Amino acid sequence: MPETSQPLTSQASGVARRFSKLAPYLWVLPALTVYGIFKLYPLVSGLQMSLLRWDGIEDPRYIGLRNFEKILSDPMTGTVLLNNVHYAVGTVIGKIVLSLLLAILLHQALKGRTFYRTSLFMPVVMSFVVVGVLWSWLFNPQFGLINSFLRGLGLEFLVQDWLGDAAVALNSLILVDIWKWYGFHMVIFLAGLQSIPDELYEAARIDGASVWQQFRHVTLPMLQPVMIVNVTISVMGAFNVFDIPFIMTAGGPANATNVMALHIYIRGFKFYRFGFSAALSYVLLVIVTLVAAIQLKLMTSGDNRD
Amino acid sequence: MSAAPFTQLNSKGGGIHWRRILVTIFNHSILILFTVIIVYPVLWMILASFKTPGELISNIWGLPTDPAYQNYADAWEKAKLGRALLNSGIVSIGAVLVVVCLSSIAGYAFAKFSFRFSTVILLVMVFTMQAPVPIIPFYVLFVRLKLTDSYLGLILAIASGTIPLAIFIFQAFFRSIPSELREAAKIDGCSEFSAFLRVVMPISGPAVATVSILTFVGAWNEYFMPLLLIRSDELRPLTLTIQVFFLQFGRAEWNVIFATLSIATIPIIVVYVFLQRWFIRGLTSGSIKG
Repeated sequence: MPETSQPLTSQASGVARRFSKLAPYLWVLPALTVYGIFKLYPLVSGLQMSLLRWDGIEDPRYIGLRNFEKILSDPMTGTVLLNNVHYAVGTVIGKIVLSLLLAILLHQALKGRTFYRTSLFMPVVMSFVVVGVLWSWLFNPQFGLINSFLRGLGLEFLVQDWLGDAAVALNSLILVDIWKWYGFHMVIFLAGLQSIPDELYEAARIDGASVWQQFRHVTLPMLQPVMIVNVTISVMGAFNVFDIPFIMTAGGPANATNVMALHIYIRGFKFYRFGFSAALSYVLLVIVTLVAAIQLKLMTSGDNRD
Repeated sequence: MSAAPFTQLNSKGGGIHWRRILVTIFNHSILILFTVIIVYPVLWMILASFKTPGELISNIWGLPTDPAYQNYADAWEKAKLGRALLNSGIVSIGAVLVVVCLSSIAGYAFAKFSFRFSTVILLVMVFTMQAPVPIIPFYVLFVRLKLTDSYLGLILAIASGTIPLAIFIFQAFFRSIPSELREAAKIDGCSEFSAFLRVVMPISGPAVATVSILTFVGAWNEYFMPLLLIRSDELRPLTLTIQVFFLQFGRAEWNVIFATLSIATIPIIVVYVFLQRWFIRGLTSGSIKG
């Protein structure tokens, strides 16, 4: 709890008292100015832009809610959003399952824990551009590492055009995203596991709980706070994803990997439909907010039922 | 550590002992498998950066037979990596300075002073920090402020995204510092601000390090902001340079691309390996308390 600032002596003038009341605002002003101008202002000023037909050069024309009507009737909106949902489901399941498994393994008293943890976290430090370009080659159908590996194992039937086949491309990007981030989620789960008191496991063992029962009835419920953090971060990431599809596939083939953030960028900066693009941003903002709210509600209401 | 009682319980009796060894082998094999999946592609990238274009196709798995150091010279020259590294350095260090200065001062006020609206301000930040910024109004704002195509614009764009998290980290840290320190400094005649600068900040190394790493790595790897705001070749940071180079030469000169990627990756990985504890703490802070 913040403590009150020191009481002034009775001789202090009214000016000094007023200044000491204002002082805290001076401390927070610089940071809030930067945040206000560059983060909050665009969030608000875009609302007015979403009501315009505007190419960024000629004078804008007010067209009311026409942009939003177009977004609702445009079949592309559905395609793009479904890709985001697909991406979210794939990355969330992949990241949570893998990172939880590895966190549980790393939580044991093992030799080489630091080595494993450092290695598994490494891609988090790397740039998405490097990761994206590297994996574009690893996925290369003729000379890439993945297909070469599969051929070497005699798994010819698994060999594919990872980024060129519309039925596979989005899943390939999901794999790269999981590869880049699961170390991050693993460290968060690890911190959660370390905060579970040993007595709970001892009590469970005395009651004759099996390893699985301990996991199900002690570990999972105790991990709920970090589980919420991990799922929220991955879901948000999936709905805002831009770098990977932009660099690796540019949304192709045939819009199979086109996602909302990419769609917004292309409408804005390739077709110069500024008003339409701004309107799309708000559609994304509303969806992200709704998804976050629903998911938080679902995950915390499970807690009440237990 | 925490699994110690488990180990002691299980070490009685031969059968259970064998079971424990099997479990250990199983744990290590899974961990090694995933470590290889993570590390091998990066290692392979560095090996590939010493291969010739022909070798990339004919010798996919082997070591480079005759290391083609020329790839690095080509990468450095064609992609103008020197300039790109300089730009990334300026922007990242600039972002760290802006974020650390502004957020530490603000974080201190939120931790130690009580004032109206402080909770409201923090709540607004919590609810907006994750929101995707609409890029058109964002871009138009930078055009109107004449901040496109400038270091300052890029620094502010990146800093504004990190400031809320940095404020929360500093605030949590400053709350853990006993107020007696600050009171003592004030009795010695320090003003509130000089007490903060001379007494509190010198013992705030851990929080400064956490925020600096978080901001630096984010700025160094940032791709979208330069894509949106930087037009001229001379101001391109590393990420944008690599992507533009990839578009230009990607189909033909993969060996040079791998050299470019290696130059971009090796320094940060070396620093990461030495400071891994700090990196991991810095990059996951905000998601984990403390």
